[in-house]
Amino acid sequence: MNAPVGLDLASISERVQSEVQRAIQRSIKGVEYISSSGPSLGSTPKDILAVRGTMNLYHYRPMADEIYRVPILIVMATTNRGYILDLVPGQSFIEFLLKRGYDVYMLDWTAPKPEEKSLRMEDYVLDFIPDCVRRVQQDSGEHDVTVIGYCFGGVLSLLYGSIFNDGPMKNLICFTTPIDFREMKLFSNFSDRRYFDVDRLVDSVGNVPPEMILSSFEMLRPASRAASQVQLWENIWNDEYVKAYRMMDRWGTDTLPLAGEYFRDITKNLMWDNKLYSDTMSVGGRAADISKIKVPILHAVAEHDHIVPYDAAKHLITKVGSTDKEEVMLKGGHVSLVAGANAIKRLWPKLDSWLGKRST
Amino acid sequence: MADKGNDPAVIWQTMIGEMEKGFNSFANQAMTSPEFSKVMNQVGGATAGAQRQLGELMEKYLLAMNLPSRAQMVGMAERIQAIEGQLNEIKALLQQVHHNSLAPESGYGAPRPPRTKRPPSEGEQK
Repeated sequence: MNAPVGLDLASISERVQSEVQRAIQRSIKGVEYISSSGPSLGSTPKDILAVRGTMNLYHYRPMADEIYRVPILIVMATTNRGYILDLVPGQSFIEFLLKRGYDVYMLDWTAPKPEEKSLRMEDYVLDFIPDCVRRVQQDSGEHDVTVIGYCFGGVLSLLYGSIFNDGPMKNLICFTTPIDFREMKLFSNFSDRRYFDVDRLVDSVGNVPPEMILSSFEMLRPASRAASQVQLWENIWNDEYVKAYRMMDRWGTDTLPLAGEYFRDITKNLMWDNKLYSDTMSVGGRAADISKIKVPILHAVAEHDHIVPYDAAKHLITKVGSTDKEEVMLKGGHVSLVAGANAIKRLWPKLDSWLGKRST
Repeated sequence: MADKGNDPAVIWQTMIGEMEKGFNSFANQAMTSPEFSKVMNQVGGATAGAQRQLGELMEKYLLAMNLPSRAQMVGMAERIQAIEGQLNEIKALLQQVHHNSLAPESGYGAPRPPRTKRPPSEGEQK
C-alpha cells in the first residue's frame, strides 16, 4: 500500500522522535528556566562619571589600542534602561563601538524619585544633556562630541542640537526618532485631549508609574505577549532562543517611570500640539527649531517599527538644516533595529562606516 | 524530508503567527476609535484615583503596624545610592593616586589610548 501523497513514513518517524526529544527537553529546560535568573546584562566595563538624581553618565573603558578623536555620547530614551545597547558580549552595541575604536559615554536614566516629579523638559534639554556634554569634553579633552539618541533620546538630542546649534555637537545620529506625533496614531488616540486629563493624572500620581508606560506600549500589540510566551514554550529546548528571549523580555518589562511635569510637557507640546513638527517648539523659553541643526546627521529607521511608525519619523531628515544628512531604513522593528542578531548584521556596520570618517 | 506544508509543528507555528497578526490588527483598528479613547481614559482616570487612595490607606496601615512605608524604603535606597556614589568617588580617587602603578586595563585613571585612529579605507571595511 502506498503512503498518501506528500507523506513520507520514514520522515514522520524521525519527526515524531525529534518531537518526543524536544518535549523531554522542554520539561527539563522549563524547570531550569523557572529556577534560574537570566544572563547578566550591561556588563561591559565602565566607570560612573556622574550621578545626579535620575541622570547617570557612564564612560566605557576603551577596548582598542587607538581611538577616534571625537567621543560619542549616547542619550538613552527616558522610558527605558540603557543596557539594551549593552546586552551580552558579542551582542553589545557598546562593545562593538569600543572594539571599532570609539570612545563611548552614555547618558542613562534611573527612575526619577518622588521629589523629582517637578523635572520638566528644560531640565533634560538645557541641564542634563549640556552637563553631560561638558563632562565628556572635560574627561576626553576634546571639544567636539558626537551625539547618538535612541527613540525619545533622539527627540531630546534634536531639541538640544537645535538650541545649542553652534556646538559642540559635531555629528548627530538618531535611531527611530519621531517628530510628527500625529502619526503615532495609537498613542495619539490614547492621549486624545478630549478624554485624557493629563493634569489630573500628573497631579494625582506625581511621577507616571512604569506599569502605565509599559501597558501603553503593550497595547500597541496586545496579542504579542501571549504569542511570545507560546513561542517560548515551543523553543524552550533551544538555549540560544531562551537567552535572547530572556534578555529582551527583561529589558522590555524594565520600564522607567516618567517625571510628572516632563510627561505633562510631552503630552501637551508634542502629543497634542505637535510642536516639533510644526516648528513651534520651545524649551524653557528658548526656540527649538530643528532646521537650525547644521551638523552631519544620520537617521536610522526600522521598516516594521510599531512604536514609531515611519510616517512619524520620515520628516526628520527633510526638516533639519544639515547638508550632510542621510536616512537609512533597515529591516526590523523598534528594538531589533538596535539590538540583537539583526542589528549586528545591519545597523552597526552601517553606523561604523558612516561615523568613522566623521570622527577624526 | 517531510513537506513543510504537512509538518504539524510548522502548521501550528504559522497558525499562532497568523492569529497574533490578525488579533493585533483587529485590536489596533478598534483602538483608533474615539470611543475607545474615552472608555480607556475613564477607566484609567478612575484607576489612578483609586491607586492614590489605596496608597494613602496603606501608608496609614504600615504606620500602625510599625512597618516602613514605601517612602521610607525609597529614602533608604537613596541613602544607599548616595553611599555607593561616595564609594565610587573614593575608588576613582584611589585609582588616580595609584594610576602609575596600575595596569592599563585596571580602569578609571589608567592611561587612555591615543586619539589618532583613522577610518579604514573603503576596501578595508568589512
